[in-house]
Amino acid sequence: MLLKYESTVREPLVDGVKDYHQVTVDIVRPIEGKPGKLWYAGLIISIALLIFGVFSVYWEVYYGIGVWGVNKSIGWAWAITNFVWWVGIGHAGTLISAILLLFRQGWRTGVNRAAEAMTIFAVMCAGQFPIWHVGRVWDVFFIFPYPNTRGPLWPNFNSPLLWDVFAVSTYFTVSLLFWYSGLLPDLATIRDRAKTKLRKFLYGVASFGWTGSTKHWQRHEALSLVLAGLATPLVLSVHSVVSMDFATSVIPGWHTTIFPPYFVAGAIFSGFAMVQTLLIVTRKILHLEEYITLGHIEAMNKIIMLTGSIVGVAYLSELFVAWYSGAYGEGGAFWWRILGPYWWAYVIMMTCNVVSPQVFWFKKLRRNVPFTLLMSVVVNIGMWFERFVIIVLSLYHDWLPSSWSYFSPQWPDIGFYVGTFGLFFTCYFLFAKYFPVIAIAEIKHVLKTSGENFKGKMHTIEAKTNEAFAEEVAHAHH
Amino acid sequence: MKQKKYWKGLEELQDEAGYEKAMYNEFREELPLGESDAFLSTTTPRRDFLKYLGFSITAATVAASCEIKVRKAIPYLNKPEEITPGIPNYYASSYALDGDYCPIVIKTRDGRPIKIEGNTLSSITGGGTSARVQGSVLSLYDTTRLRYPMADGKETTWAALDKQVAGSLAGGGVVLLTGSILSPSVKQAINEFIARYPGTRHVVNDSVSYAGMLMANEASYGKRALPSYHFENAKCIVSIGADFLGTWLSPVEFAGQYGKARAVSGENPSMSQHFQFEGHVSLTGSNADYRYTHKPSELPAVVLGLYNAVAQTLGRPALSGAPAPTSKRVADGIKKAAKALAASQGAALVVSGSNNTQVQILVNGINDMLGAGGKTIDWNTPVNYRQGVDADMQQLVNDMQSGSVKTLLVYGANPAYDYYEADKFAAALKKVPASVSFNDHLDETTRLCKYAAPDHHYLESWGDAEPKTGYYSLQQPGIAPLFKTRQFLETLLKWSGAAESDPLAYIQNYWKTNIFPQYGNGDWQTWWDQSLQDGVAEPKTAPAFGTAAFAADVNDAAAKLLSATPKSGGVEIVFYEKVGVGTGRHANNPWLQEMPDPVSKCTWDNYLCISPAMAEKLHAVVNRFNEVDFHRPLASVKVNGKELKLPILVLPGMHPEVVAVAVGYGRGGNGLNGDALKTARRNIGPSAAGVGTNVYPWVSYNATSGTFEYSAPKAEVSNTGETYLLAITQSHNSFEGRPIIRETTLKDFIEHPEELQHERKEELGKYGENFRDDATLYFPDVFNHPQGIHWGMSVDLSTCIGCSACTIACQAENNVSVVGKSEVARGHEMHWLRIDRYFAGDPEDPQVVFQPMMCQHCDNAPCENVCPVAATSHSDEGLNQMIYNRCIGTRYCENNCPYKVRRFNWRDWNGADSFADNLWDDPATLEMNESLTRMVLNPDVTVRGRGVMEKCTFCVQRLQDAKLQAKKEDRPVKDGEAQTACQQACPTHAIAFGNVNDKESKVYEIRMKNQRLYGVLEELHTLPNVTYLSKVRNKDPEDLFQEGPQNVL
Repeated sequence: MLLKYESTVREPLVDGVKDYHQVTVDIVRPIEGKPGKLWYAGLIISIALLIFGVFSVYWEVYYGIGVWGVNKSIGWAWAITNFVWWVGIGHAGTLISAILLLFRQGWRTGVNRAAEAMTIFAVMCAGQFPIWHVGRVWDVFFIFPYPNTRGPLWPNFNSPLLWDVFAVSTYFTVSLLFWYSGLLPDLATIRDRAKTKLRKFLYGVASFGWTGSTKHWQRHEALSLVLAGLATPLVLSVHSVVSMDFATSVIPGWHTTIFPPYFVAGAIFSGFAMVQTLLIVTRKILHLEEYITLGHIEAMNKIIMLTGSIVGVAYLSELFVAWYSGAYGEGGAFWWRILGPYWWAYVIMMTCNVVSPQVFWFKKLRRNVPFTLLMSVVVNIGMWFERFVIIVLSLYHDWLPSSWSYFSPQWPDIGFYVGTFGLFFTCYFLFAKYFPVIAIAEIKHVLKTSGENFKGKMHTIEAKTNEAFAEEVAHAHH
Repeated sequence: MKQKKYWKGLEELQDEAGYEKAMYNEFREELPLGESDAFLSTTTPRRDFLKYLGFSITAATVAASCEIKVRKAIPYLNKPEEITPGIPNYYASSYALDGDYCPIVIKTRDGRPIKIEGNTLSSITGGGTSARVQGSVLSLYDTTRLRYPMADGKETTWAALDKQVAGSLAGGGVVLLTGSILSPSVKQAINEFIARYPGTRHVVNDSVSYAGMLMANEASYGKRALPSYHFENAKCIVSIGADFLGTWLSPVEFAGQYGKARAVSGENPSMSQHFQFEGHVSLTGSNADYRYTHKPSELPAVVLGLYNAVAQTLGRPALSGAPAPTSKRVADGIKKAAKALAASQGAALVVSGSNNTQVQILVNGINDMLGAGGKTIDWNTPVNYRQGVDADMQQLVNDMQSGSVKTLLVYGANPAYDYYEADKFAAALKKVPASVSFNDHLDETTRLCKYAAPDHHYLESWGDAEPKTGYYSLQQPGIAPLFKTRQFLETLLKWSGAAESDPLAYIQNYWKTNIFPQYGNGDWQTWWDQSLQDGVAEPKTAPAFGTAAFAADVNDAAAKLLSATPKSGGVEIVFYEKVGVGTGRHANNPWLQEMPDPVSKCTWDNYLCISPAMAEKLHAVVNRFNEVDFHRPLASVKVNGKELKLPILVLPGMHPEVVAVAVGYGRGGNGLNGDALKTARRNIGPSAAGVGTNVYPWVSYNATSGTFEYSAPKAEVSNTGETYLLAITQSHNSFEGRPIIRETTLKDFIEHPEELQHERKEELGKYGENFRDDATLYFPDVFNHPQGIHWGMSVDLSTCIGCSACTIACQAENNVSVVGKSEVARGHEMHWLRIDRYFAGDPEDPQVVFQPMMCQHCDNAPCENVCPVAATSHSDEGLNQMIYNRCIGTRYCENNCPYKVRRFNWRDWNGADSFADNLWDDPATLEMNESLTRMVLNPDVTVRGRGVMEKCTFCVQRLQDAKLQAKKEDRPVKDGEAQTACQQACPTHAIAFGNVNDKESKVYEIRMKNQRLYGVLEELHTLPNVTYLSKVRNKDPEDLFQEGPQNVL
């Protein structure tokens, strides 16, 4: 009992009067009930977008990469921008589940499940781009180091693009395992409550025979820790490796040593923004306001503000170095980035990523839900433009002015991007319907320390003097 | 006696009867004959079954055999000695078209010409070529060429045609209208034809006329001829609107001479000085040391001003009435040019591109004062490049109209397109009862003629040429005629009723009679064979230069010029010829259409060039924000009361009140669409029809001069507010002062030859003592190849004139794809070798520099280490190689190439894809994939499929060839044996290529000694194997515009 003491100064993580049963009922309600009209509308729109994306990719594969707006100077544009953007978004989930777990941040329990799901879906979306952007997608397997009769001929281990393949696939695998192992107790709960045979069977298979025995719980905890340990360096490595696609090149604007930390900060920034966007909508529609509280939203807004500021410093240091180095390539690249034909992309990036997150210094705005929703969208627009600025605005005015060029997206460019939104939301809608969007078991774990009604009971303890309390602890039997 | 018995087994011996029975009964088991009754009594008994079976097999066989294409691959029964599959054969020949001349070597593979090389035995061109010459091999395989003779628009036979035409010819009133003909034997045949049909008139008409020069020379020297020019002997060149490096008379020859006089080195620190006065920006003007712009109406002021300034310096009588130039710059320029000319008397040359007789007389007068005759102008060997007389053409059209012309034969001319009053010509042609066209397309003129008697392509023909008096050249076919065409010479001989109508026999006979006595010695056959092998027959020692007595009345010429020059109507317009498409003859050549114009860098169109100042007035300003948008404003232009719409291209260096537009476009008519466009594409060609606008109707006739005028004093230009897509390959004009271009002046170079190297070493010295080894984190040995072959190239920016012959040579050699206009506009062009053109300084008077840019074959190549599948790698000979099979098309290499020379196969340009029907729907691209057109492909070079990267290979197939040859002879490769296509094509020999490890090689010498050496972006430690030589301009150091690299931040 005393072990579960948490100061009342800390905001409760679960609002309202809840017991374990009520938690289960609240969270599995959407799974057991019939989905609303909004859910159907959302799913249909998502699937329509997905189909459009598939058609755009079909078009590109059939007629060639030339249907995109890329050209002789700008070899990468929307596809790689979208790739980096989605991978960045995919950072929040694992950060929340792994790093915050290691740091014992209790508030992660309300958001980790949805954030992890989002990570997996975002990485799935991201993965589409490197695959389909190659000129000969039917030969894309050349990139894997498989045994062959050509020597054997290995891929070029010097190439950051190859590191990318390994980094992203590893990250995806670990994130998936982490997410799924966390789901096991919850899936078993749904199985146990199931009223139809089919449901019982499917959730039974999915829960891997979880019985809730102490041994299961013990192993589950151990696995969580191990995976958290594995995932933590990955959170930092994936985007570092992605950034090396650019940092190891000779193109001014790409060839920058600050890229790894700058990219990781940006990734967390955009990832948390996406979590905000999704959860603010989810908590409203699924009536989970008591589990995803204002406190959660505020905590994430603080992270957004921090990482946004890091990103801002990175932007400014890039500018400083461009000036201080005196190098014409670097100076020219940044001059044209700000004052060239794509100046507006730079302005959008600066406004959305550097200026706007600073409003979160105000507590009122941090706890304002509609405002946070708006800001989360603004941040992700900004972060998309950041990647676009880095990729296209570095290539469009590089070393030889004779090759300076411009990029205008064509419909298959747009279609592919829109299609990944379709993929993402299709997955998310199905997830919200068939999986518990909040980790039931983990909420129960913190309920008695951080639940509002349980915290109410703490007043009696807090009323005691320190000496009395110390004595009680010393004589407690446990 | 018991019979002797042999038994085969114990059964036979023991039970004879039983055995015999068993033997008789072969099938011992019961046969299932019980069922056979039912079998035989079925409704389809055995015989029917066999019938059906037989029918089905036959039917199936017939049906299946219909589907199978019969492909023939017939091996030689008796292999010709000289043909080995896979080994090219080379035949010396000549390109002589419309008076343009270039001695060539045809490279044939398996019996088909695939590449044109310059003939190094010619003293005229020294092995140089032009883009048009390089591109001419593609026109051989033009699918829209006429394939048979036609009468009244229907196919006929040559015999029938001969018969019909013979009838018409007998009626008299015959006129033969031709372009300039260089062939002496054809000229003789024409004379014989005229003798056979007395009263026949021969009219020569050039699409873009040089009659003013011919008339002026007649007035000045009593010869209606053109002299040989020798730019190599000129210390000072003043060109008044003559684009002698791009299009004027004989640009390949002149470029070679110019290159010689412009090559500057530490040992020979001298070069010619070049002044250019012009209205628009020509290729030649771009290369000038000093360039001044004036309006066409100010031409008298410039010419008279220069005359008087030179006369004044030399103490000769001046001309009266000379108007002062309106601009101080031009006035100063005239003074400066005159001073320079006078200072180099005897080594000075003034040329003018004007077609005005009086202007040319005055130019002759200046040259005469300067003593150019016999030094830079040689009258002993007049040239035959242009022979057209404009007044004759005017007369012809009038005669046709009046009905006095009964039969018109048109050869090498297309007046229904390029005559300024084409409609009048077309109407007049209707009054001619019989007309024959020898043109190779059903073009504007041929369409109107009663008979079409298509000539062979020149690569299918026997022929000869006499470009200069006493300089002969032979033309031999590289392939048997593809179609049922007949050589003009043969047709003419047949119609003349000659006993021998075989062109080869006729030419041989001509040579035996006329040329063998001059240059031959010994046996005729031996000499002929040798001449055929050499391709040229020239005097052993060049004849001494000769002069001609100048006898024109310059005062009269000046007075006439002044009185006949129309007053300026504000904005004036200049019509010029483009380096690629020319007069329109080459319009259906996709290579030339897609070749970026050397100055404007625009493809697939003609357009209105305007100055930045005028752009402001027309609200068509191109600035750093919109330069990347190729949807350019469309202007409405009214000249001589005729209005046309032309897209605007803002070109620095244009005179603020002059606009310019190229002729040669709008083949088949302006504003074609629908069925008319389809028909024109079929008849004239898919790359010609509907491309650009025909502005020949704006040309006018100047009665005083008796010549056509290629400018107009008034052009009403307005911005329509509409836009038009221009396929421009380079959007940014400035090199932003970056050290990618290094230049100096001759004076500085002479005084401080080490300065250029000093600058360079200072920059590279920041990274360590030995930049190559110290400025990298890698092990230095990785990049060094001190042993064996290490290929390297050097490009001299001083002698590169930007003519783009190399671009087309590269395209022909390496099967570089044509992508069509819309794809060029999207930055998808495929040229492996591009020429970057930069302007610097004042937009009104910019300094221009050309920089050929191809794969630099970096020893520390940024593209190589980023490829995830190792599809681009480095050879131990220093080549950056592309392995197409391995490439998956990530385009990472393209991004990381600081020179941006890698080209991606965005679409299925070559039909090499397994996806059906995904070819780009551009008519030119489709044309390039016709099986006939594909015969031009070089079998030694892989045709690239969609989705792979490609780039310059240093012509690796040629290097391998040279290496194999050397290996067979058991010796190292000698310098000059391995030549890249660009190097071979260059008329100024600006490109040197060879083995850097070979101490005897030219490129080694350049690397070791040349003080102008530098590498583009070498500070990135890419270690490029292509190096450049800084540009030297022969101008005063204070006039050189130089800026530091931009770093505004």
